[in-house]
Amino acid sequence: MSGGVRAATGTAALTTELPVGRSTGWWGMVMFVVTEATLFACLLGSYFYLRFQFGAQWPPPGIAPPTLLKPLVMTAVLLPSSLPVIWAEHGIRRGQRWRLRTGLAATFLLGATFLALQANEYAEKLREFTLTTNAYGSLFYVITGFHGLHVLVGLTMIGWLLAASLRGGSFGAHRHDRVRNAAIYWHFVDLVWVAILFTIYLSPRL
Amino acid sequence: MSTTAAPVPGASREQLDRLEEHWGERPSLRAWLTTVDHKKIGRRYLVTAGLFFALAGLSALAMRTQLARPEAGLLSPQEYNQLFTMHGTAMIFLFATPMLFGFGNFLVPLLIGARDMAFPKLNALGYWIFLFAGLFMWASLPFGAAPNAGWFAYVPLTGQQQTPGLHMDVYSLGLLFLGIATAAGSINFIVTALKLRAPGMSLNRVPLFVWAIVATGFMVIFALPALNLDNAMLFLDRRFGTHFFDPEAGGNVLLWQHLFWIFGHPDVYIIVMPALGIVSAVLPAFTRRGVVGYVLVVFAIVAISIISFGVWVHHMFATGLPRLSYSFFSAASTIITIPSGIQIFAWLATMLLGRLVVRVPLLFVIGFIVTFVLGGFTGTMFALTVFDQQVTDSYFVVAHFHYVLVGGAVFPILAAVYYWLPKITGRMYHEGLGRWAFWLVFAGMHVTFFPMHLYGLFGMPRRVYTYPSEPGWDAWNLVSTVGSYLLAVGLLLVLAGVVHAIRRGRPAPPDPWGGDTLEWSTDSPPKPYNFAVLPQVHSLHPTWDESSRESMGAGAEADRVLADGRRTLLTSELDGRRERVVEMPASSWQPLLLALAMLLFFTAMLFAWYPVAAVAAVAVAGTVATWLWPPRRPERELGVSA
Amino acid sequence: MSAHPGPRARLAGGLLFWYAVLGGAVAWAVHLLAGWGVDELTCASGSDHIGGVPLRAAVGAAVALPALATVGALLAAVLLWRRTHLPSEGEDRSVGRGRLLAVVGVWSNLLFLTIIVLGGVALLVLPPCQR
Ligand code: HEM
Repeated sequence: MSGGVRAATGTAALTTELPVGRSTGWWGMVMFVVTEATLFACLLGSYFYLRFQFGAQWPPPGIAPPTLLKPLVMTAVLLPSSLPVIWAEHGIRRGQRWRLRTGLAATFLLGATFLALQANEYAEKLREFTLTTNAYGSLFYVITGFHGLHVLVGLTMIGWLLAASLRGGSFGAHRHDRVRNAAIYWHFVDLVWVAILFTIYLSPRL
Repeated sequence: MSTTAAPVPGASREQLDRLEEHWGERPSLRAWLTTVDHKKIGRRYLVTAGLFFALAGLSALAMRTQLARPEAGLLSPQEYNQLFTMHGTAMIFLFATPMLFGFGNFLVPLLIGARDMAFPKLNALGYWIFLFAGLFMWASLPFGAAPNAGWFAYVPLTGQQQTPGLHMDVYSLGLLFLGIATAAGSINFIVTALKLRAPGMSLNRVPLFVWAIVATGFMVIFALPALNLDNAMLFLDRRFGTHFFDPEAGGNVLLWQHLFWIFGHPDVYIIVMPALGIVSAVLPAFTRRGVVGYVLVVFAIVAISIISFGVWVHHMFATGLPRLSYSFFSAASTIITIPSGIQIFAWLATMLLGRLVVRVPLLFVIGFIVTFVLGGFTGTMFALTVFDQQVTDSYFVVAHFHYVLVGGAVFPILAAVYYWLPKITGRMYHEGLGRWAFWLVFAGMHVTFFPMHLYGLFGMPRRVYTYPSEPGWDAWNLVSTVGSYLLAVGLLLVLAGVVHAIRRGRPAPPDPWGGDTLEWSTDSPPKPYNFAVLPQVHSLHPTWDESSRESMGAGAEADRVLADGRRTLLTSELDGRRERVVEMPASSWQPLLLALAMLLFFTAMLFAWYPVAAVAAVAVAGTVATWLWPPRRPERELGVSA
Repeated sequence: MSAHPGPRARLAGGLLFWYAVLGGAVAWAVHLLAGWGVDELTCASGSDHIGGVPLRAAVGAAVALPALATVGALLAAVLLWRRTHLPSEGEDRSVGRGRLLAVVGVWSNLLFLTIIVLGGVALLVLPPCQR
């Protein structure tokens, strides 16, 4: 153990190059995700700011606290959708195109299901309150809608990859940067949903 | 160190021809509209930002003319409001940052020994968006529909009831549109500096200007989202009846201010940081030595860019939050002066220990130090909450931030114009003309803005279209106005100097100043491929060190010529170890088309033509999709097994 | 010292390196957000307890923990500084780069520690909800 510590704090280990060897596309996507994440952080921060400045009862009188069943189902659909992309990406790194195609298709289906569920959720909520009812309504629809838009964009990316991979001549063991980058985006969209689930659906019950 | 370091081409004639074939562009309209060359794009950024500077400057002149004497009637209050708002907004968003991004675009690949930016097409896209967003905002002025509620657009004043009409919609949509370009440019700088440095350029050999631009890029990607969100909410509130800022329905006006200044304070550094980088880049050539305390300057750059996020609340000392919260921010506002001071002392030490060569760029650097230090001094006065509450919203504030911004951005930018003009145009400027320009600008600046401290303290509020005759106000206002004309004449001389250089200037040698960084070891202006042989870097001052220079001449290796295609080298993030050769994209229509589709989208949103906006959004998505569509490759090359 | 650390030691070393360089900055960001958020929101809701904990103690934790983390980063930076104290001859750029960032780390951790401590002083003298 102490040998391990000694090794890790030696000159050679401390000056290990980390991160190293990433492609420009990878860095570009990571930086893009970082600024998007900041955007969501500001958005959710605004939610809490308005909520705590508002006073005791939240959601405001006239709006019931959100029910949990549907959002939990949505979570159960969206979160696992990252797994098939990972599996697909590992496949194409070994040159297995069938894995790429199957994995992408699975993720696409899960993502589309999520959007359908969200549409259904909106149909229900819109009967209770809208974007213009009050600040709560504005926050609810803008936050979830903005995330939904991101799912849509991610879904377009996945669909686009799927189309390219079906055409053939696009990806292989030596060319899979695009798969990787789209996957990063998709994982990000997934993780943001967790933060939204907590903010919009769970935190009013705390 | 001699000025005769003309590049001894380490590449053969035939290799040079092939490089020219892959990178060169024959002049034509098509080439002009589709180019992705970072040097051309950088030049365009500079010219366009210069144009917006002129427009914003003319607005300022109109305001100063109106304020020359009390109770003047040259401008109506409505016109005055639009002018100061457009002046401030354009100076901050359309001049300062894009101008510095222009220098960054032109210089970063040259400074790090690369052939282009990491994402050349994205770079072209960024320029077109910047151009269109700028025109989008300025076009509203002739119609009397320009933004009119101050560059920081505080709600509730900017709400639909208080400010009906398109004014603030132009503001929010214009800035959202522009934001795409700024974010894309920043990401491009960061990735370029991480991956495209010449082999051997480990982080401890990166020029200070590149450190500064990268720090700026990081500040942008963390700060800009706050502004974008703010503007999106403002637009939604105004157009679609949401209630983010509406206290009647559970919203809160302070939310705007918090988000705005989370962006706004770092933005001051986003503007000033690359300008400080320029100073560090210019000094070595005119003091004949490297900047003293390179390590400490790097530390200062990193520290400032981080701490700048923690001082936003000090812009709201007049709004009433718990004292304890304030003090967390006050601590940061006080401490941030330490790294700023370190940079100033590093430059002073460089000048003291070096041998001064007094040319125009150095004059502007000295002008910068004087002005900026004065601005910083009044700035530390604000860190005292009591004082701040006293002078908030008076002309004292106007004086302070013009000292910081004119001192901290305009002077370094002018230094950069003179310093890199030979590299950009291949021509030398006229020294005498340059000196006249400097003294006029310097005098004009102080005559304009120094008196503002005084009438600010005498109680004259900012943002008033006219004022009653008061002792201490009238005469000093007139002085300010005279100063602003002086300043304008000085700036005209700068323009005249540039035009004169391009028309009549002597041809510039590759290294007229004996500079230390890589751009001086290639031609003026550089060939489309920048370096015939990509350098192998051995020190922080490659052009001053024999072995780095060798590496592009006699010591050239075939694997750093890369003449079989449009290629450059990727190296590792921290230590600049050679990784692999990459193919760079060639010219394309996609950036222009994409920017046009976005322009259509934002225009349609402005005029509420939502179906058109939907079509434009589809066009945007379609262009992006074709842009990224993978080219078809043979299976062997791809490596497919099943 | 082993000349060729294994991959795990390298990973740990690389992470320790970044902790040494940026640890203070991150700790300060956490301190600022937590301290400000807790103070402002609790006071706005008109109470001086948050979930049973007195507000002063909560804000105190938002000062003390980040301060400790910064001290740790400072120590790591000093270690890095000493480990890169080699006569940097030849072309070993990693050591030169490590040295640069070690100095940056030492100074920035000191700076952030100062800011956090100043915040702590304010906490001692100001009642948390005074306006
Ligand atoms: C070139 C000479 C300049 C002159 C003569 C000038 C003059 C003025 C004047 C008269 C005002 C209006 C004050 C008021 O009514 O409250 C103003 C505001 C402002 N100026 Fe300048 N200025 C100049 C350059 C700049 C530069 C280079 C920048 C930034 C890079 C800048 C940024 C601003 C900003 C942000 C405002 C505030 C606008 C607002 O109140 O919303 N100015 N300037």
